[in-house]
Amino acid sequence: MTVLSKSKNRISGTLAFVACTALILAGCATAPPADDKVAMAAFKEANDPYEPFNRAMFDFNLALDKAVLRPAASIYRDVLPEPVQNGVHNFLHNLRSPIIFGNDLLQGELDRAGSTLARFAINSTVGIFGLYDFAAYVGIEKHNEDFGQTLAVWEVEQGPYLVLPIFGPSNPRDGVGRVADILIDPLTWLTPFEFQMARTIGTAVNARARNFDQVNDLENNSLDFYSAVRSLYRQKRADEIRNGVPLNTNAVTGNLPAMPDGKSEHSQAVTSQNGK
Amino acid sequence: MRRNAVIALGALSLILCINVTSASPASNDAEKFIRAIGNKTLSSLKEKGISEQERVKRFKELLEEAFDLPRIARFTLGRYWRVATNKEKEEFVELFKKFVIQAYANRFQELSGRSFSVIKARGISTTQALVMTEILVPQKPAIRVNWRVRSKNHVHKITDVVVEGISMSVTQRDEFVSVIRQRGGKVEGLIRALRKKTTSN
Repeated sequence: MTVLSKSKNRISGTLAFVACTALILAGCATAPPADDKVAMAAFKEANDPYEPFNRAMFDFNLALDKAVLRPAASIYRDVLPEPVQNGVHNFLHNLRSPIIFGNDLLQGELDRAGSTLARFAINSTVGIFGLYDFAAYVGIEKHNEDFGQTLAVWEVEQGPYLVLPIFGPSNPRDGVGRVADILIDPLTWLTPFEFQMARTIGTAVNARARNFDQVNDLENNSLDFYSAVRSLYRQKRADEIRNGVPLNTNAVTGNLPAMPDGKSEHSQAVTSQNGK
Repeated sequence: MRRNAVIALGALSLILCINVTSASPASNDAEKFIRAIGNKTLSSLKEKGISEQERVKRFKELLEEAFDLPRIARFTLGRYWRVATNKEKEEFVELFKKFVIQAYANRFQELSGRSFSVIKARGISTTQALVMTEILVPQKPAIRVNWRVRSKNHVHKITDVVVEGISMSVTQRDEFVSVIRQRGGKVEGLIRALRKKTTSN
């Protein structure tokens, strides 16, 4: 327990450091002159007042990725056969079941809570400790939830974009959600610190390996990798919060008007709810 | 004779009416269009013994046929479309096409050996429909891909691809707008970056 609380202290220490640095650097993010309406609108839409700090963190994370995570994920991909990789992925997802279940309940999604519970029972037993997703095979599809999404469902604003060291793209809402998920996870309190370290590292390597080509492809094909990732993160989160349901209107995420649909309709185009 | 003709005409118009009212024709046509494009793409990828050059050429043709690239280009410039000069707009649209071909030619290859199924389609405005599909990958979860299709005078064009909730057009717009902002709000800055990107590889 002492090791655990020490690590917790370290995490909160890091967060405090980040918050302080962000505040110091906040002055560096220069807003465009107020009379330049186009630039001002673009600045507001980016919702990234700490951009200089975030870019520095992004570069730091990218260097770390190149030095550690990418090579590890590359070896992992090359060495382990695909069924084993899928097993690891399923196992890690099954471990998240208590968090998903809790957040299903907090969002009032009783059907989804039931399916999470059923999946956990089936996959932990028939699926051999979660290595096989047998529940999906019998038609109980998996889904994901976290406390960041729950806060969004509770209509808490996401706040400005924030790149956290090591953890990457986030915002205050998701940052709080991350900490809350650790606290509500029974495994945090029931398993030794070594197990949690292994789980964290495994989760990172698994995620990086599964998106290996996509991430590299995006980096190669973007003019500004930082802003591409910022856009992807927001859209991904908005999609997760909507549980994958496409937007109902002709609107797209972000503040801009929808895809131009001929002159007459363009003027009455709907704007979306800004990826809440 | 004449009466028969009238009855026939009446019957015909009735059939036409039923046809029009029974389902949303726009989304039906959009769905058919996506099916056709999808099949064409997959069969083109299946063909063996084609040079790399030929593949890129085919991708280019498919892209120009299926996508409304000028419209997407205009969208990705966001608010800056209105402040760009005509000359800038023209060059931007051309560079955008090149950029898309370069960026997506590889992703196109990855579709090889996969299949897709149309889930459903629904109209989202008088001229636009959203066609929801799944790309099926063996041993992996299916990928949710939604296609925004714009139809006018029976010509269908894709204006956006949304993969797992991530819109390609929106991502591109956010990136381009950021590049312009980084370069002092000058569209010319983006054009220069695109020029460099499309000639470097």
